[in-house]
Amino acid sequence: MSKTQVSRFKSSVDQERRHFYSEEIQPEVFLLLGNPVQLTPDEAAAMDEYQTEDETAFVVEEVSKIIKESVEAAIGGNAYQHSRVNQWTTSVVEQCLSQLSKLGKPFKYIVTCIIMQKNGAGLQTASACFWDNTTDGSCAVRWENKSMYCIVNVFGLSI
Amino acid sequence: MEEYSSGDEAVFSADDATISVKECIEGVIGGTDYNQSKVNQWTATIVEHSLTHLVKQGRPFKYIVNCTIMQKSGAGLHTANSCYWDTATDGSCTVRWENRTIYCVVSVFAVAVTL
Repeated sequence: MSKTQVSRFKSSVDQERRHFYSEEIQPEVFLLLGNPVQLTPDEAAAMDEYQTEDETAFVVEEVSKIIKESVEAAIGGNAYQHSRVNQWTTSVVEQCLSQLSKLGKPFKYIVTCIIMQKNGAGLQTASACFWDNTTDGSCAVRWENKSMYCIVNVFGLSI
Repeated sequence: MEEYSSGDEAVFSADDATISVKECIEGVIGGTDYNQSKVNQWTATIVEHSLTHLVKQGRPFKYIVNCTIMQKSGAGLHTANSCYWDTATDGSCTVRWENRTIYCVVSVFAVAVTL
């Protein structure tokens, strides 16, 4: 039932420029996740009733933990390597997905993973979601080491 | 959820989505160069406009639109996604766009709603 799509970007810049490092470019990763879940006080009160229904709710902490473990396991102590990135992104998403489906909750999941080499470039990602605010949720985890950034997004849509 | 038009097939059309997303991207960052102060605004606008167009089609789907903008500076970027859903009714499409200074990747995921 799971489908994996991999999209790869090859830099069209020639070999010499790969070593170009501009002092002006800030090595920051900006993230904006369009978060559609804005709770009014009424909704927040209603949400309290659902806290005991962990079986059918999207629990962000739990999902976040799963993602962190999957990322550590897949790329933990490695430095960015062009030849292996393909394999890493695939294994991060597949591992996350299999851990999530093991939770046995009535959800459909979408997991996306971005791995970027630390090179001074700027990266911005954003998401917007059209779903049911009361039952669906998302979780984003940013991870980094000395040579790369990894951003994983999980969206859970209730059935 | 609002009423959906009856008689619509509940199968995601990736081609239609690709076309409308491409138009969206062109409209927002068409002739521009990478600008750190504006990127935030660009990604937000692209996802919101794409989502609005998709929702206007009035089909029984939940949507997730994801947009990534990266400056061209020789860095390597890799993205992957994996989905656990009903392959008969759900679908996704990814649009890659670039110009001299920007790479833009937009992914749309559509999950059928059982009414």
